[in-house]
Amino acid sequence: MELPESNSTGDDKSVGFEAAKKIILRWDSTASEDAKEKMIFESDRQEADLYLQAVDEIQRSLSNASLSDDRSKATTIQIAMARLEDEFRNILITNTAALESESLTDPTSSSSVHSHLSSRSSNFEPEEEFILNTEKLLELEHCESADSSRGRSTSSIREMDLMPPEAICDLHAIAMRMISAGYLRECVQVYGSVRKSAVDSSFRKLGIEKLSIGDIQRLAWEALEGKIRRWIRAARVCVRILFPSEKRLCEQIFVGVGTSIDDDCFMETVKGPAVQLFNFAEAISISRRLPEKLFKILDVHDALMDLQPDIEVVFDSKSSDSIRVQAAEILSRLAEAVRGTLTEFENAVLREPSGPVPVGTIHPLTRYVMNYIGLISDYKQTLIELIMSKPSTGSRYSGDPTTPDMDFAELEGKTPLALHLIWIIVILEFNLERKSKQYRDASLGHLFIMNNIRYIVQKIKGSPELREMIGDDYLRKLTGKVRHAATNYQRATWVTVLYCLRDEGLHVSGSFSSGVSKSALRERFKTFNAMFEEVHRTQASWIVPDTQLREELRISISEKLIPAYRSFLGRFRSHIESGRHPENYIKYTVEDLETAVLDFFEGCVVSQHLRRRSQ
Amino acid sequence: MPATDYQGTSSAPFANIGRSIMSLRRDQVHVHSMEGSHDGAGHEVELEAFQKQVADMFQSLLAAAASASANDELLSLSWIRKLLDSFLSCQEEFRVLLYNKSQLLRPPMDRLIADFNERSVKALDVCNAIRDGIEQIRQWEKLLEIVLCALDNKNQRALGEGQFRRAKKALVDLAIGMLDDKDSGQTLANRNRSFGRNKDHHHRSVGHFRSLSWSVSRSWSAARQLQSIGSNLAAPRTNDIVASNGFAVPVYTMGSVLLFVMWTLVAAIPCQDRGLQVHFNIPRHFAWAAPLNTLHERILEESKKRERKNACGLLKEIYQMEKCSRLLSELADSVQFPLTEEKEVEVRQRVKELAQVCETIKEGLDPLERQVREVFHRIVRGRTEGLDSLGRGHNPE
Repeated sequence: MELPESNSTGDDKSVGFEAAKKIILRWDSTASEDAKEKMIFESDRQEADLYLQAVDEIQRSLSNASLSDDRSKATTIQIAMARLEDEFRNILITNTAALESESLTDPTSSSSVHSHLSSRSSNFEPEEEFILNTEKLLELEHCESADSSRGRSTSSIREMDLMPPEAICDLHAIAMRMISAGYLRECVQVYGSVRKSAVDSSFRKLGIEKLSIGDIQRLAWEALEGKIRRWIRAARVCVRILFPSEKRLCEQIFVGVGTSIDDDCFMETVKGPAVQLFNFAEAISISRRLPEKLFKILDVHDALMDLQPDIEVVFDSKSSDSIRVQAAEILSRLAEAVRGTLTEFENAVLREPSGPVPVGTIHPLTRYVMNYIGLISDYKQTLIELIMSKPSTGSRYSGDPTTPDMDFAELEGKTPLALHLIWIIVILEFNLERKSKQYRDASLGHLFIMNNIRYIVQKIKGSPELREMIGDDYLRKLTGKVRHAATNYQRATWVTVLYCLRDEGLHVSGSFSSGVSKSALRERFKTFNAMFEEVHRTQASWIVPDTQLREELRISISEKLIPAYRSFLGRFRSHIESGRHPENYIKYTVEDLETAVLDFFEGCVVSQHLRRRSQ
Repeated sequence: MPATDYQGTSSAPFANIGRSIMSLRRDQVHVHSMEGSHDGAGHEVELEAFQKQVADMFQSLLAAAASASANDELLSLSWIRKLLDSFLSCQEEFRVLLYNKSQLLRPPMDRLIADFNERSVKALDVCNAIRDGIEQIRQWEKLLEIVLCALDNKNQRALGEGQFRRAKKALVDLAIGMLDDKDSGQTLANRNRSFGRNKDHHHRSVGHFRSLSWSVSRSWSAARQLQSIGSNLAAPRTNDIVASNGFAVPVYTMGSVLLFVMWTLVAAIPCQDRGLQVHFNIPRHFAWAAPLNTLHERILEESKKRERKNACGLLKEIYQMEKCSRLLSELADSVQFPLTEEKEVEVRQRVKELAQVCETIKEGLDPLERQVREVFHRIVRGRTEGLDSLGRGHNPE
């Protein structure tokens, strides 16, 4: 496009210059209303081109001219630059829109939600005060990204076009002129302020809030969980889409105008928002260590870890050092928080003060801890790397009755994580023992232990990862404890009952008509009946939830009870039946007893009297 | 200490003891803290030493502020950095003092330490806000660089209207940017009118600067945060002192130091809702009470001075920026072209002053930011250690 000829002087240069100057003065917004109202780059193409050429002309002549012209040229340049700055700003603002919501989804991840509830605690009494918040834990989810591969970083970055190419072209053209006239700083400043507001709106759309550390400390757990979920999604979009797109825009607009200018603009735009983004993760890493937070902290840790390679790529310049450093610091703090929270969990399990549950069934603490352990094994991949040291308490035979002992020597070759898992079970057992002693009936205490340890065993067996980490040695130990508890229970309950059916003390010694003391025998039967009835009444309402165990226990009881009763009956019934009111003493047949045993551990209240088949 | 020095995880507690005056006493400390619960006279020495260190710190800050050389003037960048340096070494001593002391687990120390940790966490938000403020100052400095660029006379060409217009533009932006939040509305309108600029565009860009620069919500308040840090901060009662074998005193001391440092930062650096009404009711018998109170008074005095009343930060360099730019602005308004010899000299003088301020700021801001970040790190670390040791030593009920 040629400049219009406005006067007839032969000198090309001066024609060019005068015309150029005219154009620039015409668009001086401080001088005319008209100039203020319209924007050059919104008018037709020709205007814009003419203007740029005019600027170029002035620039050219500035370097060639004599001193005396300088001042007016310098003024003209300044007017042009001021105008260009406004145009620059205007083009930016016109073409700046916060990214649409659809574009703000991270295509590289799909959150698959696994619910790791093994069973809901149906016997959980809300009145029981719990340090550990069972309900929270039972709702835990594990969000995984479908292809969470750490190595494939560059493929997960997706730059978007933030502006139409014509706009970028114009911006570039203007930037060139401004920079060559020495107005780089103004250019960067305008760019930064407009683009920063765009990033800000995108942040709002992504739900990133300006929360202080204090705000986050005060949030209730459910609210915080929600914010964490949202943050993870938002962080992925920011690091993989939003920031790279801004970076590319800078590169496109400031191409070929010198090194690091695009970097500076990028940092102007993005530094504040990036710091704000990471501040949230930092606040999470600093917050109080409540056990139920473990998995959400792990989620944040994993998300940030996942983003590390992308952060390195996006913030690769010297001026963005501080951001990379901060991200690394936060990651390491999150790791600390994970460790601290795990320790806090262990302490909480040890301290948990609630009493035993009625009818000797599974304690909510047991369920909670096993659920928790299950989740730990889900997060095994990360935790194995983060948990680096053995559990700290009770690692020696401390002789302290308030903490259990654990001999780590037997557990050589296990990862620290596995040691922690075993330790947690040790603590749980210890706590359960403490609770079991609070039962008035010692038998129930043993049953309680049997049930709960059985539950632990079944849970471990049900998960290959858990089983592999905890190891069959320890599993065997636990199984042995179940058996031992069952034996204790039997001894506690049945020894005295079966005592009634013993032989000695019934025979009257002396004369060789070996007699049987009828009165003693009658006492025996009466005592046996009363005891059995009592045991039956009580223990029918007890519970052994595990079907197999329940069966085994009943069979074991029967195996001792039935033969003993049968033989007792066999030997002595004649003596009773020869006396008066035998029915008062021989109340039950063997079959009656066999049937009665089936009532045990059903958790029902039975009627006062046993059924009497034989009547 | 650069921010990257921070080792998050398992550094030994004594790793940073380099600055600790206790390092000489390390063996002594170790021996005594290994004793059982009946720690007696051994600790008096340490406790006294700590009190003395704090007193010395404030005395030297006071002395620096009063010194004839302009470098360490009260609330200058270098003085603030001195303050933070002192705070960091104080905190380190405090950590060493409390390390492995069995008192920490018993009343009243468990409660006092928990309180102190809560205060510290609140200080973290102040640190973050200060970082924002530092960024603001950086933005202003960048505007001043435009002014310097415009009026730079290196190639000996005479300064013309164009350069002045350019400088003026930047100076106006700066003036608006430096307005205290509450004033911005009315004055903004006035300034825009008087320079006949395209009102909307201008307003939009500068107004943006302000609201975008805070990374905290609109409702966050530095004043409230300071109040919160100082709440219930009272000298320990005698029975607490006795029950804690004297350790309640350093906890109170450190709390007061923390409050003072945070208060000073808020006074100096721009942040949202800077209120300076914090009272220090420190009993006279503490050796550090007098110098702390003096510093407090002097800073308050500064804030009430006519020319600083509406400042958005009491940092000396902010005042210098504001003064220099105002003088230059007036000069720019008053010049006729071509410039007289006299005016040229004046302009050159002002530009030189301005360049000086910019230089100081450029040199001092980055290290200051790193220091603030280091304070952040140390506070977090101290708290984590505190939490961990409480967890470890906790006995089941």
